[in-house]
Order: sequence, then structure tokens, then C-alpha cells
Amino acid sequence: MANVKLTDVKKIYDKNVVAVHDFNLEIKDKEFVVFVGPSGCGKSTTLRMIAGLEDISEGTVEIDGEVVNDLQPKDRDIAMVFQNYALYPHMTVYDNIAFSLRLKKVPEDEVYEKVTNAANVLGITEYLMRKPRALSGGQRQRVAIGRAMVRNAKVFLMDEPLSNLDAKLRNQMRAEIILLRQKLDTTFVYVTHDQTEAMTLGDRIVIMQNGYIEQVGTPMEVFEMPTNLFVAEFIGAPKMNTFKTKLIEEGGKYYVTPFGSKIEVNGIKGDMLRERNVKSQNIILGVRPEHISLAENGGEDTIPCTLEVNEMMGSELHLHVVTEDGSHLIVRTPTVDLDADARRELVYGKKLNITFEGKVMHFFGEEDNRNLLV
Amino acid sequence: MSTLSSTERTAKRHMGINTSRRISNTAAYTVLILISIIWLVPFVFIVLQSFRVESTWQVGYVIPQKWGLDNYANLFKTDFPRWYLNTFIAAVATAVLQTVIVLCMSYTLSRFRFKMRKPLMRFMLILGMFPGMLTMIILYRVLKDLGMTQANAVPGLILVYIASSGMGYYVSKGFFDTIPKSLDEAARVDGATRFQVLKKIILPLSKPIVIYTILTAFMGPWGDFVFARYISFGTSSGMNVAVGLYNWLNRDQIANNYTMFCAGGVLVAVPVTLLFMCLQRYYVEGVTGGAVKG
Amino acid sequence: MTHYSDLEFLKLSRGQKIGYKTASFFRSIPIGIANFFKKIGLGIGKGCKAVGREIADIGRTFRDGDIHTKMSFFIMGWGNLARGQILRGLMFLLFEIVFIGYMVLTGGYWLSMLPTLGTKGPVKELDPILDVFVTKYYDNSFKILLYGVLTLFFIAAFIYTWRVNIKQNKLAEQILKSGKKLKSGREDLRSMVDDKFHKTLLALPMTGIIVFTVLPIVFMILVAFTNYDGTHDGYYSNLFTWVGLDNFNTLLGWSSGNKAYSAAFGEILTWTLIWAFFATFTNYFLGMMVAMLINKKGIRLKKVWRTVLVLTIAVPQFISLLYVSKMFAKNGLINQGLMSLGWITQALPFWEDATWARITVILINIWIGIPYLMLITTGILMNIPQDLYESARIDGANAWQQYSKITLPYMLFVTGPYLLTSFTGNMNNFNVIYLLTGGAPTNPAASTAAGSVGYTDLLITWLFKITTGAESKYYMASVVGIMVFVVVALISLVVYSAMPSIKNEEDFQ
Repeated sequence: MANVKLTDVKKIYDKNVVAVHDFNLEIKDKEFVVFVGPSGCGKSTTLRMIAGLEDISEGTVEIDGEVVNDLQPKDRDIAMVFQNYALYPHMTVYDNIAFSLRLKKVPEDEVYEKVTNAANVLGITEYLMRKPRALSGGQRQRVAIGRAMVRNAKVFLMDEPLSNLDAKLRNQMRAEIILLRQKLDTTFVYVTHDQTEAMTLGDRIVIMQNGYIEQVGTPMEVFEMPTNLFVAEFIGAPKMNTFKTKLIEEGGKYYVTPFGSKIEVNGIKGDMLRERNVKSQNIILGVRPEHISLAENGGEDTIPCTLEVNEMMGSELHLHVVTEDGSHLIVRTPTVDLDADARRELVYGKKLNITFEGKVMHFFGEEDNRNLLV
Repeated sequence: MSTLSSTERTAKRHMGINTSRRISNTAAYTVLILISIIWLVPFVFIVLQSFRVESTWQVGYVIPQKWGLDNYANLFKTDFPRWYLNTFIAAVATAVLQTVIVLCMSYTLSRFRFKMRKPLMRFMLILGMFPGMLTMIILYRVLKDLGMTQANAVPGLILVYIASSGMGYYVSKGFFDTIPKSLDEAARVDGATRFQVLKKIILPLSKPIVIYTILTAFMGPWGDFVFARYISFGTSSGMNVAVGLYNWLNRDQIANNYTMFCAGGVLVAVPVTLLFMCLQRYYVEGVTGGAVKG
Repeated sequence: MTHYSDLEFLKLSRGQKIGYKTASFFRSIPIGIANFFKKIGLGIGKGCKAVGREIADIGRTFRDGDIHTKMSFFIMGWGNLARGQILRGLMFLLFEIVFIGYMVLTGGYWLSMLPTLGTKGPVKELDPILDVFVTKYYDNSFKILLYGVLTLFFIAAFIYTWRVNIKQNKLAEQILKSGKKLKSGREDLRSMVDDKFHKTLLALPMTGIIVFTVLPIVFMILVAFTNYDGTHDGYYSNLFTWVGLDNFNTLLGWSSGNKAYSAAFGEILTWTLIWAFFATFTNYFLGMMVAMLINKKGIRLKKVWRTVLVLTIAVPQFISLLYVSKMFAKNGLINQGLMSLGWITQALPFWEDATWARITVILINIWIGIPYLMLITTGILMNIPQDLYESARIDGANAWQQYSKITLPYMLFVTGPYLLTSFTGNMNNFNVIYLLTGGAPTNPAASTAAGSVGYTDLLITWLFKITTGAESKYYMASVVGIMVFVVVALISLVVYSAMPSIKNEEDFQ
């Protein structure tokens, strides 16, 4: 149980490829922090630098107030779960979990107790004498977690632990990790490329791209107030709709004019624009698919478009529509809002009118792609 | 009518598949049997001739007119047992030491990333382009000064065999490369030193390549002719089997020793071949992996 | 040459496509070689700069260092001892003492004699007590050259260690300044099995390689510039000395005198390349065919066929090859058998006629070589994804098309590097040639002063013959050895520069 502090951490591979730029972050004791981003963004590299599996080119990593740059992984008191589980194939599940304890010369009866305890918690007691190759993916994952659990380490590192599992199992294991976190009550650093995992697991999320931190915040913060276009598009599924348009200020009111319409920015977003006294300008407008609704009739605040694809997801529909100038948008609408007849009509080529929810729009600068309200 | 003819045609087509497979398989078997004969004939001949008693020189027939173990008995009146022992000692020592050296080298090059790694590998690649025989002259002179030639050739030979064996790291490095690195990393996070990683994780997983390395290292000295001949030069008691038996086929010795050569060859080949056949599986793994990795 | 874009290339006719590919293949060779030398040049430039930086750093360390650091410039390990790193300090100190002792006692002598390789050879002198002439031995060129090289290696090692010693002082100062502790001797020892484990592991193999490969090769390269041979063995008879490039000129025919060596070299090099080509490709294709035959669906007893073939790998070559060599001899089994059957009246000249001998060694090499290729290709054939064949069959490919469009490209791709090593390996395939023919039949035209040269001699067997021949012309042997290196290096360079795909291992995965 400890805090982790990264100060100006940099990773430079030979030939001057910079994988991580000036990474600054303080992870509090018992906090669950998730690094998320597309592949190659430097999230795993950062985690491996905390673990001591990669050299730190510049900057310092502190665990519990101690600079650990020059410490070997074994001396950092960390536990880690790997993407491909990294179970020792020649050892039984029991030996796998006991490995670290035995290296520390823990007495055998204590080893027995700790291993069986961990196995109990994870529900793998009946597999203790099996070799990893005789286990399913989910069971292997549990063993890997068990191996890390018995360490009682200061920091618990997880490198994409769920990405080798199928979708159903992944959901189940995600819930178990939340439970585990309650039980272990220690500091977690978790790496994933999946924004859903990041949103559901993290106390705080660190969104990275090309070696830079784009935003750090709670799941709610990054969802409601993304600092830039990248974060806005990365968080949330289906992806946020973004397109170039104009923001106009007219007599104390703000309007956006996407695709020839004119929609008022009301609610909290309108207030914020007024507070900051934002000028009329060209912007990139971001609207989440759930904030687009179907309008009964046309009007100034609606946009005419044509339905291309209708994805029936069960509780909701994802409608892929094309505007008259050829832009593609996704509309997410709850199934219950439409009666059976209306649903049946939603087929390829159907003409629709859509409108945007003014109070939950996002505005980004056309040049720097930064959120105008941050 | 037309449906009938169509089913007929279908039947014929199906017949076609079966017959053509039968024909091609018959052809394949014929070729394989022919190949097997070609491959086996010399070995069968050598065994048959080792039992020939009526004459010791080359003759135009294969099956002995008089069978007996005379040739084998005669072997023990020569230096052959000494040669055999020399070779065996060299082979065992080489197998042990060379395996240790090769594994050290290949494990390091597979697992550690240090500044000199790439230059080192490139350097060894270039070094390997020089014919090893070139160094024979100086090695002989140096070993002679150390008193490890002629009658004492065995320790000298062992030294020569193992000294540069680090350069033959390719195959086992290729194998180590296939063991996921995350296993090392997991073990290091679990608290293992690099040495413990090698001992507790990598070596238990490397049985095939260890056996392959031991096998090839053991077989090398049985076939070495060049260095053994040069280092034991002129002294019968320092020779290995290859040199000793080669000399029996010299123009002036062949008439007396041809059948004895066959007997000696059988005595050398049988244990080595049996060992090889038992461990064939590992050999195949090593050879295949090595070729693919280049 | 015009360069086509991908789309333009696709529009070309089949013939044009082949022509374009061939042209760009050959064009890439000089470019690749030029790049290689450019890289070497850049490397040398970088190396010089690095040396400059090192010297500057050494100077700075001296200027800025404390008294212990300064003392360490003269007494290695001083700084370590003063700062409490006893183990390291003692090691450094010991090394310096050994080095100075060596240089004073013998190293200086060897080094001073290196330019002449000795001036006073063995002389018959009158022993005043016994009153007889005895041979007195003085300088020994062989030892001078050997220990001279060794001393140079030792000096290089000393300079490197001295540099490490200084670097450590600088580092120790920095660490102490930042308030941290230095590593103790015990920690040093522990790091030998942990973060410095690779150095521990490499120590033994690298020592072996340096002493038994690098040092001898450097020595033998130097021999190529001397007149070291059986009559100048440097001690018992005459001293040897430096002769410059004379030996290279002789071998390459650039000297006005004896042309025998250059003639023999040309002959042997040509045959070596022909041999390597046929030995490699006959084995490759026949081995692949046998592997496919055994792997064929419906063939039973696969294991038995393989085991029979593998016999030639298992049985030591000197037995199988010597025996087969005698089988094909003039009075061997085959000739005698055929004659007693009445099929021939005269013995076939397997080893007596140049062409017969050359073809026979290639054929027997197939017998030795196919099993290796069979094993290798079996492994690779099984790795080819079956769905490639299934998709090809659905697309309408027949057996030959499946082979030429899927199997062969895949094989060539995967075994490209292997083909190269196997080619150079065959160039140096001493055993097969020496045990089968010993180089015979003799080539009278090339054999004059260059000793006995045969039609089946490879460069490597020639090297062996020169070394062990009556005159023991070591200097020629070492020139031939260097030539083997040059040829192998050139071929590797050409292949690697012309086929960049060899290095892209990912394409087929």
C-alpha cells in the first residue's frame, strides 16, 4: 500500500524514438488508476517503467516516497499481471502461485495457507494440481491474479489483463476485478486499450496518445468535459460525432449552425459560453450519439438526412445516417421510444429529421482541437 | 437417359479420384523403396564385410564365404581400443563443456539487451566466415608448447572443440527466443534474480534444446578428422577413431585392414547411431528451428 | 532505368515484368554494396568522434575530480579503495601490477621485436667446454609474432580497464555527492548473478573465442604477410620476416614470377563455386521432394522412411564416406560387381577421370545431404497453413500450381538465410571432398610448383594440403584462408543487399 509518483518520466529508445514524453502523475495510496489509449501510445511502457522492466531514460519514479529508478523489479515490492498471463508452464497452479513466496524463503506451511487462501478467493482450489496448459483462459487469468495477490505488494500492476479473453468472460472478470480491489484495498495501476474497462474500473483515468498524457480525470470528468477532440472521440461508444461548423453569438444567445440548421446552445453549456464570453468563430462541434434525437417534423433546428444502416442492439438502435452534404453521423436511440411500426420503417433510404441536444454539446477550437470551455 | 449418363459420369469422376490416388501412391511407394535401398545398401555391405574371414582386402562380392568374428577380435590386437577410449573421453567432455558454453552464450544473447549485443553478434558472424582450419597451425604450435599434442592429444582436442563453441549459439538462441519474455519478467517481478530466472524458469523449459546441444556436441568428436589428425600427428596412441581408421585405408595398408576397417566402423557407428535414433525427436526440433531462424 | 509505380508495373506484360524485376535485382546489388561501404565509413567516422569524446571526458574527469580521482589516473583502484570499495579497488590494482610486471619482464621485448620478427637465428657455435659445435638458439619469429599480438591485445585490454577505472571514479563522485551509498563488495558479487548476470555468462565463452579464434585468426592474417613456412619456422631453422603483399601477388598472379599458384587458385575457386552451387541446390530440391513424398497423404510408415534416411546423419561421416569412396574405387565393389555381371569390361573411372569424379562427389553428397533437408523441409511444410492449399484448390489450382505458387515461394522465403549459410558451408565442406577423393584426380596443369592439386580440390582442402604438404607453406595457406573469407563475405554481402526480404521475417506470418 503506497503512493506512486512519476516526475518528468521519459522513455527514449535507441535511435531517438521517444515513447513517453514528460510523464507527470501522482497516484494516491489505494487509488485505482487506469492508463488508457490506442496501441503504441506509451501506456504499457509507462507501466513497465514503474515495474522496473524498462529502464527510465529521464525523470524519476517514486514508490512510497523512495526513488526506485535503479532498483531491480524484485526489489520494488510490486505485483504484476501480464496480458498473456505469463504462467510458468512447467509448474502446477500451486507452484505458480507459491513461486514468489518460496523465493522469499517463506516457511512451507505459511505458503500453503496463503496459496490456498488466494485460490479460495478466486475459486480455483480444484485446479491447484493442474498445469497451466490444462486451464481455460479465464482460469489462467485467475491464477495470474492469484500469483500477484499472495505477494501482498505495495502496488498492483495490471497490463491489459483482460484483452485475451472473449467478450462475455471479459465482462465477468471485470466485475471480479472490482470485487478484488475491494478485498485487497491497495494501489492499482491498470493498463487497457478498452475505454469501457477504463470507465468502469478506474477511480481516475489517464488518457494517452503518442506518448503524451491527453487528460487525467475521473470517468465522469473525462466523459463530460473532455479537454480535447482526441479524448472526446476516444471515450464513449459509439464514438462521438464531430464535424466542422460555426458558433454564433446573437444577442446574448449562442447558436451552432450544423448542416444548414440553427440550433440554440442552452442549459449549462450556454451559461458557460456566456461566462467565458466566447466570440463567434469556426469550431468543431462534438455531439454524442445519444444526444441526437429524431424530430417529427422539419424546422430550423432540424437536419434532414437519409438512413444508411440500422443496427439493432436490443435495448437501443444505432442509426447510421448521411446528411445532404455527405457527412456520416451515428444516432443512438432507445428502442422503447419507438413503436413497432416506426421501427419497421427504419430501413435503408428512409428520410429522417434529426436534432441535437443543446445543453450537452462539446465545442473544440478549429485550429488546436482544444475544448473551448476548459 | 440424360440423368443416367450424368450419374455415370459422376461415378466415373469419383473413380478417377480414387484410381489416380492409387496410382500416385504406388509410384510414391516405389520411389521410397528405391531410395531406402540406396540409403541402406552401403551400411548393410559394411556390416556384412565386417564378418568376412576368408580375406582382408576388397573383393567383388558382398556376402562372406566364411563368416566369423576374426576382424572384431583382431581389432583388440591393434590400438583401436585406445582410439575408441580417446574419442569417447573427448566426446563426453565436449558434450558437457560445450553445452554449458553454448547455453550461456545463447541465453545471454536471447534475453539480455546490452550495448555491445548487436556488435558482438555481427563480429561473430564475420569471424565465422574465416575457415576454422586456418587456425590449425598456430593452435598446434601452442598446444605443443603446452604439451597437449601427440600422445597427450585428448586434452588438447577437447580444448580445441570447446574453446570456440560459443560461436555456435544460433540454434539454441532461436529456441530461447520462442520462450515468451513475459515469463522472465513475471519471475523477476516475483522476486527472482536473473540467475534464478535461468535456473528455475528457462532451463526446465529448455529440455529439447539442451538435449539437442548435448547430442550434437557428443557426435562431433566421433567424426572429427582434421584437427584430430593434425594434433595427434604421427602418434598412434593419441589418435581418435576417425584418424586411426582412415590410416587403415591408405594404399599400403588397405589390403590387410579393409575388413578390420569395416568391423571398427560398425563398432563406432552402432552406439552413436542408436543414441541418435533414441534422441532423434530432439535433433529434428533443433535442426528445423535452426534453419528457419537462420 | 525507369522506375515504375505499382499500378504501372501491373500493366506491363509478363515478359516486361520479369525483365523489370531482373533489372532491379541486379541494380540493387551495387547499391547494396555501396550502402554497406558507406555504413562502414559512417561507422569509422562515428568511432573517431566517440574516441574524441572519450578523451575529452577523461580530461574533464581529471580537471574536475577530487584527489582520489586524480590519483586513480596513476594508481588504478585508488579511488575505489579510498571510498571503501575494497574488492573493486583490489581487482583494479592487481590488474595494473600484473600488466606492468608483464610489460617490464617480457612484453616490452616482444613488442620491440615485432617490426623485424627477430634478427638472430640459430647459429652453430663452438662450445668452449665440450669443444664441439652445438646449435644455439636466439630469437624465435613464431613466438615473437604470437606474443607480440598477445601483448597488443593485453595493452588494449589495459587501456579499456584504465578507462573503466576512471569512469567509475567519476560515477562514484556523483553518487556520493547526491548522498547515496556506493555498492559494497558483497553487492557487487550479488549483482554478478542479477543485473550484471550477462557479463558473468559471457565471460567464459568470450574468453574461449578470443583466445582460440580471434587471436589465432589475427595471427594467421599477419602470417600472410610473412614468409613463414617449413623452412622458415622461426626457431629450429631460419627466422621468418615480413614480406609485404608478395604472397597475395603470387596467389592472384600479379607478380611477374611464378604463375603456378594463380593458375591453381583460378581453377580451384571456379570448381569450389560450381560445387557449392550444385551441392546446395541438388540437396535443396531433392530433399524437398523426398519430404513431400513422405508427407504425402496416404503414405504409411512415415517414421520408417525418415529413420532410414536419417542413418547418414547418425553414422559418423568418416565411416560412411570412406566406405562409399572405396566402393567406387577402381577395384571397389561397384566396378568389380558390374564386371562380374558382365555389364562392363573396364572399370569405370569414378575417381580417375576429372568429370566422372566431380559428378560422383556431387551425387554422393546428395546421399549425405538429402536427409538434413528432408528433416528441415518436413518441419516447414507442416507449418504452411493448410487453408492456403484449401483456398488454392477451390480457386482451381492443380498439384503443380499448388507447389509452384504456394509451397516453393513459402519455402524459399523461410529458408532463404539457410540457403546462404548452406552455400558457404558447402564451399568449406572439407569432409565430403577429403574423405571421398582427397582431391583426386591430380590436375597436372595446376600442380607444378603449387604442390599436388586435384580436380575435386576445394579451396579448403587445398589450404589443408598446403599446410600439411612437404613444404608447409603456411604463408600461402593463410593467404588462401583470407581469400576464402573474402569470397564468403562477398557472396553474403551480395545476397543480403539484393534480397532485403531475407531480413523481413514478418511477411509470411
